[in-house]
Amino acid sequence: MFKNIIEWFLILLVFGLSAIVGNWVGYDVVPSAAIPGMLVLILISVVGLVLEKVVPVNIPSVGYIGLIGILISIPWFPGSEYVVRWTSEINILALATPILAYAGISIGKNWADFSKLGWRSIIVAIFVFFGTFIGSAVIAEIILRMQGII
Amino acid sequence: MKNEKTEILKDWRLHVIALILVGITEAVGQFSFKVGSGVILLLPMLYAFFMGLGLYFSPLVKEKQAKNAEPLIILGVTLLIAKIGVTIGPQIEALIAAGPALLLQELGNLGTIFFALPIAVLLGFKRESIGMTHSVAREPNVGLIMNKFGFDSPEGRGVMAIYIFGTVFGAVFLGLISGFLATITPLHPLSFAMASGVGSGSMMAAASGSLIGLFPELESQIVAFAGASNLISLSTGLYVSIFIGLPLTEKLYSIMMRRKEKKAAGAGKGGDMNV
Repeated sequence: MFKNIIEWFLILLVFGLSAIVGNWVGYDVVPSAAIPGMLVLILISVVGLVLEKVVPVNIPSVGYIGLIGILISIPWFPGSEYVVRWTSEINILALATPILAYAGISIGKNWADFSKLGWRSIIVAIFVFFGTFIGSAVIAEIILRMQGII
Repeated sequence: MKNEKTEILKDWRLHVIALILVGITEAVGQFSFKVGSGVILLLPMLYAFFMGLGLYFSPLVKEKQAKNAEPLIILGVTLLIAKIGVTIGPQIEALIAAGPALLLQELGNLGTIFFALPIAVLLGFKRESIGMTHSVAREPNVGLIMNKFGFDSPEGRGVMAIYIFGTVFGAVFLGLISGFLATITPLHPLSFAMASGVGSGSMMAAASGSLIGLFPELESQIVAFAGASNLISLSTGLYVSIFIGLPLTEKLYSIMMRRKEKKAAGAGKGGDMNV
């Protein structure tokens, strides 16, 4: 378990380094300002990954990670102002770019399968993704308007 | 298992390539152009994706790098979810206020059935169309279809087709249409933020990323709504599919096929229209 934790931590650190560079180049946040926030995010992730392994209930790590993040940044949680201030230095787009960079590198493997899909499948797929997106947006719009939030 | 992780860590070639891709694409920055009254936004993450994909076909990236990249996507997404968590915390009250919309827009994912099922049937798909259109075909739904119909069933082939499309182009596609739809339709960006949470971290990041790029003043609200919606999709999506999505798709499919058969019979010669 201990070895697992160290390895998760180190892999997340490697990923975080790319994100910090992107955060610097793209969003003008110098690394020294971004490091505390990145460490907080890495710690949250590691705790979530450990909980997934330790707790005998079938909840994926991202479930724990989201909840821990919410909990420690709620205003009445002790020290939450530091969590919020530090992590606000990490631009969310700077985290998304390395994810998609690694995804692009990895997805080449699926290219052979993809090129076998016929044009009819691709048209249906486009409507599947379009349908779920616009369907959710329309329902959200109706309810948010009824509630007077937007 | 343990050796694998060390090996991933030591794959410096992979990490250097990723670091360079991030550096270049973030330095280039975002571009936007108008299509009619809508805006298509190109974000660094989109260039990074396509450059990474291109590199796969170059000698720089070998099978090993492609395989080692996978756990980094998964762990990268955990950081993204942690960031979303700490963005939601300070806004928890706004989020609770928007709770009804957040929960009910999950049902909007059934929109895929109404939009895509008629198209699939029209294009001549048979029972494949059930697997294709009952959901956006992320891992839990692939599992559901395989479980119910088997891997080599028409439904199984259908769900795999959408799964493969989504894996390769889902994030890119949602990233492009979310900004465009938010600028061309009268719907509010926050409604699209909720719609961004389809149950996949990278798709949500791309879709909500475009919204942030276009409406930076709403950034933390967009992140909070998209992230919360994604967490709800992850935790309830499968059950919505089991109890509503899949039965509804099967029902509509049989109604459509009956109508199609009637039409074919009415036209005199039927049965060979899909050959």
